[in-house]
Amino acid sequence: MDRIGVQHIVYQIILVTVVAIVVGTAASLAAIGFVDAVHYLNDRLLISPYARVLAEDRPGLVAAATLIVPAAGGLIVGLVVHFLVREKRGLAPPDAILAAQTSGPAPGFRSGVASSLAALVSLGSGASVGQYGPLVYLGAMFGNLAGRLRLNLRHQRSIAIACGVAAAISTAFNAPIAGLVFAHEVILRHYSLRAFAPVTVAAATGYIIANVIFDRPALFLVSFDRVEHSYEFVFFALEGVLCAGLAWVFMLLLRFSTNISRRHIAVPWVRPAIAGLMVGLVALWIPEVLGIGQETLRFATIEGAFGIGELGLIIVAKLVLTALCVGFGFVGGVFSPALLIGILFGAFYGLMLPYLAPVPHSGLEVYAICGMMALASSVIGAPLTTILIVFELTRSYDLTIAAMVAVVFANLISYRVIGRSLFDLQLRERGFDLSLGRDKAILETHRIRDYLSTNVTTVSERDTVGDVRQRLVDDHRSEAMVLNRDQKLLGVVRLQGIVNSQADTPVLETAIQSFTTFDEDTSVWQSMEMLRGFLGEAVPLVDRRGRLKGVVPEEAVIRAYLEIMHDLREEENEAA
Amino acid sequence: MKRRSRAIRALMIIGLLALSALLQAQGQSERPEVLTVVTWGGAYEDSQRRAYFEPFTEATGIEIETVHYDGGVKVLREHVASGEIEWDVIDMIQSDASTACDDGLLESIDPQILAPAPDGTPPQEDFMEGAIHRCFITQIVFSTVIAFDNRAFPGVKPDSVEDFFDLEAFPGKRGLRKSPTGLLEWALLSLAVPREQLYDLLSTRRGLELASGRLDDIREAIIWWTRGDEPVELLTSGQAAMATGYNGRFFHARAMEGAPISVIWDGQLIGFNSWTILRGTAQADLAAEFIAFATRAENMAAQANLISYGPARKSAQRRVGLHTDAGVPMRPYLPTAPSHMDNAVVRDHHWYSQTDGLREQWFREWLER
Repeated sequence: MDRIGVQHIVYQIILVTVVAIVVGTAASLAAIGFVDAVHYLNDRLLISPYARVLAEDRPGLVAAATLIVPAAGGLIVGLVVHFLVREKRGLAPPDAILAAQTSGPAPGFRSGVASSLAALVSLGSGASVGQYGPLVYLGAMFGNLAGRLRLNLRHQRSIAIACGVAAAISTAFNAPIAGLVFAHEVILRHYSLRAFAPVTVAAATGYIIANVIFDRPALFLVSFDRVEHSYEFVFFALEGVLCAGLAWVFMLLLRFSTNISRRHIAVPWVRPAIAGLMVGLVALWIPEVLGIGQETLRFATIEGAFGIGELGLIIVAKLVLTALCVGFGFVGGVFSPALLIGILFGAFYGLMLPYLAPVPHSGLEVYAICGMMALASSVIGAPLTTILIVFELTRSYDLTIAAMVAVVFANLISYRVIGRSLFDLQLRERGFDLSLGRDKAILETHRIRDYLSTNVTTVSERDTVGDVRQRLVDDHRSEAMVLNRDQKLLGVVRLQGIVNSQADTPVLETAIQSFTTFDEDTSVWQSMEMLRGFLGEAVPLVDRRGRLKGVVPEEAVIRAYLEIMHDLREEENEAA
Repeated sequence: MKRRSRAIRALMIIGLLALSALLQAQGQSERPEVLTVVTWGGAYEDSQRRAYFEPFTEATGIEIETVHYDGGVKVLREHVASGEIEWDVIDMIQSDASTACDDGLLESIDPQILAPAPDGTPPQEDFMEGAIHRCFITQIVFSTVIAFDNRAFPGVKPDSVEDFFDLEAFPGKRGLRKSPTGLLEWALLSLAVPREQLYDLLSTRRGLELASGRLDDIREAIIWWTRGDEPVELLTSGQAAMATGYNGRFFHARAMEGAPISVIWDGQLIGFNSWTILRGTAQADLAAEFIAFATRAENMAAQANLISYGPARKSAQRRVGLHTDAGVPMRPYLPTAPSHMDNAVVRDHHWYSQTDGLREQWFREWLER
């Protein structure tokens, strides 16, 4: 390798590392700041149990805050999203996936900041939404910013976004390996050494900042000895299946709630306030539904903290209210609620098990953790990440293997019933379908108009066959586009179709009226589909009024496919 | 002429000196002879007597009279309400001091009275964070720990909070302070709740119920104590196999009296004691003078060399050495020794000061169950 080549490699390695560290640091600090700000608001607004108990001598104030704060928070969220976020919705992991997968423009920085602010208000005011979705988007936002720099790095944007996400997850869970895998499993959706190295650096940076510099407490600590009986693995598998069912119910409720809000509440910015009011009303009776519910998460692992009936009630309330909050427009994720509902369901299952199978069990904890991870993995479509989170947080092989069994069976079912994840469902609704593979989804995001050629023979509708024949011979082409005075495409004339026609025949009589056309929105994937059975040189591309913009030669469609595929394979297979 | 003026000047100086001496004598005669300090008795009070009270009397001629106190704010309220203020300085747990301050039971203390460290470091930098407050000056770090009678467990020894609640593996009576202080934390710690989440969980009805259920497990074995020196008596007399109590008392019993007591540092509950001045005392200035004296680095270190409580200022911590009488190195016995901090719980004084009523009500109801 020559000297310039070596210099280039050194430049690439240093730059990739610097980008990973900078993005990782920014994402990690932002995540810490965000979580602290949520806690601060929860304390100030009498949402956290700690703050509520300190005001226990003023029960009227606590009750008023319970009702007013989520509703007022919802109103602020509605206004912020409606007037400050260009997309008119909270930005979330699907936006990060889309930005990493495609070269199209990502949501702007202003929208990102406004969406994060809305998420902060949502979580701070006690809405039943999660914090990890906004954290993932925050990480992706910093990655996207770094992706815009002109650093001459290949696949810079997608890798930088993955770095930000990995650091955010690593910080939030104190789990760097889970952060690394999440970025690959959910955001990049492939594994390559090119991405692996910088994303690892970013995840480690997040961990160091959270764990070493700021000494953040772990999400949960569980002391678990071992699974006592081998037959319990059957129970874990069954629990996984049940969790997949619960995830399906959750998805249905989410969709139902979204539809209801769109159909029945005309003013979009009012919707979150209504959901907030419902949260407040329920919280007067069941305070566990407020906010992220870290205390409830902890109680679920303690034997005797809940009765079976109580657990059932809280599970239903949390399910319904989370669907309501997300569907009505509060900005927040579904990962934390899925963790909470899952752990409560796991505890419920653990309490019910002695009645269903009266044989010895290993205690409540293991079933609670299995439920938490099985449900969460079905919702976010990240089985490996959830298994790693359990391992990194508990350092217990037995607990991890038990969770692994539950997660695998949950995903086996949920993949077929729901699809890979809620994120994929949301993306499909936006026309980006990842269910048939990454290739198709990415081909769908590239427009064939980028391969447009203006080297085309055009003729007027008043021309005769003779004129056209001569024009085609002069242009060395075999087909011409027939246009009217307004440049609107009327038909296609092929040389073989007019070779035996009389020279004075009006060309429109010989033109093919039914032919394949592309429009400005036709994707590369669609263009390939449309080329099935196509005979001809090139496909005309028309604008919305039917005016000819140019043609896309058959060769260009194949070239587009090959170029995009080559780029994809290079991204997936190249070394760093 | 010159000689005459010298004589006049000498007379004037003598006159001034005489006047000054007269005024000083008059001032001294006006100074009170006794300052009343409310404190906790036992080995702790003895250490204070030697480190603070006696040297203060020696320096100022003012006697220190002590009144016994078992903590809380209620007694202060009653004393103030009586209208006859006889207490001057009170040695209070920080959360109680905070509550009493909010209730207007304490005088303000001017931080200017505090002496700098011997190397000139200002007190604000030398005292630990949060020690200097409008109403109190935190002076020591103490710890409430679980200890056991070595003779009760000749084989396997208890070594965790969980063991305190395990009557099967470690049978015997349990000595507990008759107050909702520490009980709640230990009950949840024994259920493997991480120390970082203790107060969040105890802020919920469910958390209190869970703690109640855990305490129910040992209800029949509990012997209640109220005075700080009682847990040592319970263990040395064999009445209890395990007891909670103040680390300094246990240290003193073992180091000075050879009592067969071992401390379990798991789940030690770190607290802070602070000097306060009762509102309405006629000797507020003198009380402040005493606090200024007692919080000098050399005096705080002197107390730490008598009983194993950590001084609240860095310059004093650096001066802690051997026990004044026994010659035992004191640093390993301080609650803040690095090896003791792994599972230590720092008492949340804000939470304590704000949940006084709630905890009392919970405790009363639990006792009546």
